[in-house]
Parts: sequence; structure tokens; C-alpha cells
Amino acid sequence: MDIVKGYEEEFNQLVDIYEKNTEDKSLRNPSVATIIVSGNKVVGLNSVKGMYINSKVRNDGLVMIDVEIEDNTVIPIPVHLCTGFLEKTGEQILKFNYNIGSNVRVKFKSHCILTKVEKLHHYMESEMYIGKNSHVVYEDEHFHDENGGVFVETITKMKVDENAYFASKFYETKTRVGRINVVMDIELKDNAKVNLESKIYGQKDDIIDIKEVLRLNGENSSGIATSTVFATDSTKAHVINEAYGNAPYARGHIECNEIVKGSNVSVSTIPVLKVNNEKAELTHEASVGRIKQDQLETLMSKGLTEDEAAEFIVNGLLS
Amino acid sequence: MLRLENIKYSKNSNDIIKGISMKFEEEKVYGIVGNNGVGKSTIGYIIMGLSDYTVNDGKIFLDDNDITDLSITERAKKGIALLWQEPARFEGITVKNYLTLNKKMNIKEIEEALNLVNLDPDKYLNRLVDKKLSGGERKKVELASCILLKPKYLIMDEPDSGIDIMSLDMIVGVMDYLKNKGTTLIVITHRKEIARKCEYSYLICAGKVFLEGESNKIVEYYEKTCDTCGHINYAEEA
Repeated sequence: MDIVKGYEEEFNQLVDIYEKNTEDKSLRNPSVATIIVSGNKVVGLNSVKGMYINSKVRNDGLVMIDVEIEDNTVIPIPVHLCTGFLEKTGEQILKFNYNIGSNVRVKFKSHCILTKVEKLHHYMESEMYIGKNSHVVYEDEHFHDENGGVFVETITKMKVDENAYFASKFYETKTRVGRINVVMDIELKDNAKVNLESKIYGQKDDIIDIKEVLRLNGENSSGIATSTVFATDSTKAHVINEAYGNAPYARGHIECNEIVKGSNVSVSTIPVLKVNNEKAELTHEASVGRIKQDQLETLMSKGLTEDEAAEFIVNGLLS
Repeated sequence: MLRLENIKYSKNSNDIIKGISMKFEEEKVYGIVGNNGVGKSTIGYIIMGLSDYTVNDGKIFLDDNDITDLSITERAKKGIALLWQEPARFEGITVKNYLTLNKKMNIKEIEEALNLVNLDPDKYLNRLVDKKLSGGERKKVELASCILLKPKYLIMDEPDSGIDIMSLDMIVGVMDYLKNKGTTLIVITHRKEIARKCEYSYLICAGKVFLEGESNKIVEYYEKTCDTCGHINYAEEA
């Protein structure tokens, strides 16, 4: 692990918070590829064979990180991307460019550690290209402060090439959200497969916006986008899932489940399906409402109280 | 003893249950038989106390204590359980979590329950109780859950529905197992193989107990008469 000189303390603080929240000790492991950003500084970098990481910080504070993975590279241990902010207020702007070659197999574990801030705007823009026959998994987990002062915007544009597979899991279920705006726009080539899953737990006056777009441009491409929001108290949540069937035998499914608990909750979902090829097939499922009565009563008939049953169901949905 | 006294229940202006009285003594196997729509499942839901099944009149007693106004949870804590005809699905919950309800439980006991319902624990403990399980698999998981609850009274609502015909022996075996463990079974069924395993049955028609007595005789009467009797039943459409 290359800890950037002068930033040892920030590195250690971020890693300590991460380890406390996840019990995962791999960030200090020298055989694990890692990118650790604190505020507008790259404080730790570690690469592995076949993977190249370049970082640059512009004068205006924008942190630019390029990740390139060579063709035929298999990275057996997940690559960790850790972004944190240790000041009380401010803005963090990040730009990631991923260029992933053909026949690559890699898993990214991204964590946003924003537990110590009072007011922060965290903006992350990513572009990712996934080469032919590659298999890429991206798991993104957020830890925010409990006073709701974090505003996270994460905008991702991707291209998934022929026969490649991409799966994404975006989870903000363990801490307060604050305000979050997630946009993911993916283009799929022939036989490409994508599976997007986002789960968010809104509390108090959290504001949640999710937009997921699947552009099924390749023949026989397929994509699934599933969003689950558990909205409590005065949470406002708005989810848009879009799928475009633009090629023969393209198949897309979008699903949004918003479960509400609280009289001041405001949630909505808009599914958009557009078929531009007669052989494409798109489906969607959406539900907005309370926890299903038959689920509650099934568990209550086993001795759980209504609150215990609701917690059991929600924990499952957000797991 | 669990006792229903002159239970009346109506929905959408239809009288579904029209003054039913029943007795279920401890450690016995009872059948509630009858055609579709006569109100058999409704009786089960009323005993369990489901939210849409509050009675208009009558009382339910458990060991002479009135439980008519108790919640589902309170009834469950007193030892009443329900094997659902079509059990609900749960996303993100494994079979193991579902069976234990996240409480500490001896793994051997869980494995024994799964083996009793012909599910291999190695294959099923980490499966999710979601829509990827077939109807039959889900029903078997529910049966295993009821075994682990060790209830005093188990209402089995159409225990064979959704399960392949080859598994009928398994259901009968589980009924024997539960009876031997001291559970009173209240089996809602229209399948004669299952009804014949009961000791005493109530034949329901048009929301009333039409006949009651030794199960074999009730089943015999039901088979000969009930398809053509012409009574009007409301429960199914309500």
C-alpha cells in the first residue's frame, strides 16, 4: 500500500471508520488494489498486476482518477475504492474514468465514508467502458452522518461491450441518507448482460432520487434494473426506471418497490419502456405502499408483533 | 380445549359463517371438510384472528379463556399456529432465517424439520423464501416452520394444495409426527386421503356445520352427497 506522504493520519482515520462499519480489514492488505480519497486528496493507492491507476488533482479541487485494466486480466480479490471526507463542511468532486479491457474479471467494492460531516456536497461522475467478454461487479455502499447533512450525487455512464456482464449493487441502508441523487445510464452491445440493484432506506426528511436507464442497443442484450426504497417519516423518494429495446431479441425488465411507513412520506415511481424493434421485449413491475398484509400476518401468526414483523421484512428487503 | 361458540361472520353483506360451534380437544386430529367456497378456510382465519376476519357474533375460547378479541400475535403466543394455504413470499430472507425468525435455534432441529418435509437442508437452508421457490417448495418450508413452532393447535389450511401428489405420504407423516408431539391438528381439506387421517370431522356447507362425527363416516357422506346437494355458498366469491 502506497500511503501518500503527509496524509498518513487521514488514511488511518478513514480506514478505521471503514473497518468499524464493515469489519472488513482488507484495506491495509498489500495484495488488495485500493484507491483511497480523502476530501480532495488521494491519500492511498495500491495497484495489482494488469491494473493501472493514475490520479490527478486539479487546482480547483477536482480529483480525477483513471483506472485501466489490461485485456485478459483476472483480479481475484476485490478492488477497493474508498472516498471519505473528514472535514465538517465542504464539497468533494470526483471524476472516475474506467477503461476495462476484454476478457477481464474484476469486482469493485466502493465505500463512501461521510460520517463525520455536518454539511457536504459529494459529487462523483464516472464513465466506464467494459470490453468484450468481461465480467465486472461494482458494489457501492454508503455511510453518511446521522444529521442528514450529506448531499450525494453520483452520475454514471457506461458502455458494456459484446458478451460482457456488469452487475451493480448500490446500498444506502445502514445510515441516514440526507439527500441522494443516483443516475446510471448504460448502453449494452450484442449479448451484453446487466443487472442493476439499488436499495435505499430513507428516514426523517431524507430526499431520494434514483434514475436508472438501460439502452439495449445490441442484439440479444438483456438488462434488469431493480430499485427498492423503504421510506419512513417524512422521506421524499422519486424513482425513474427506463428501458429502451433497440435491437432484436433485446430483453429488459425494470422493477421498483417502494415501501412506506409514516403519514408524511411522499414517494413516486415512473417506469418508462420504449421498444424500437419489434423483436425486443420489455417488462416492468412496480409497487408503492405499505408492507403487504399477508406478509405481516404470516409472521404475526408465528408470534412476532406487528413491529417485529415489519422490521424482519424490511431487513430482508434491504439486505 | 379450543372452542368456537356460535360464530357468525359476514363480508360484503354476505353471511359467510352462520352460527358455527366447534370443539377441538387436545392432542386430537380434526377435519373441517366441504366443497370449495363453503367457508372452511374462513373458519381457520377466524380462529387465527386475521385482520379481515373479525367475527360479527360469537366467542372463541381457549381453555375456557375468551380469546375472541386477542390479536394474531397474542393467539400465536398462546400456541395457535396456521399452515397457510398459499404462504407469502419474502425477498432477501433465507429459509434458515425464516425458520428461526432470526432467533437462536439448534441447527439439528432445523435440519430435522426440513428432512421431515422432504427438503434437503444442504440445498435449502440458504435459499431465499422469494418467488424463485416453487409453490410446492414454499409450502414445504411453511410446513417445516409450523413443525419448529411446536404449536398446541395447528390449523392446516389445505395442507396438500400446491404439493405434488407424491408428497401426500409426507403430509400424512408430518400429521402423525405433530400428533405424537402433542399438537392438536385442525385440518381444512377436501381430499379424502387427508380427511380420513382425522379422528373427528365437521362437514361445512353454506356457512354452517352440516354434519359432524367420526371422520370416515363424514367423508363417506361427503363423497356421496356434497357435489350435487345444491346449497348456495358465498365464501369463495366474498
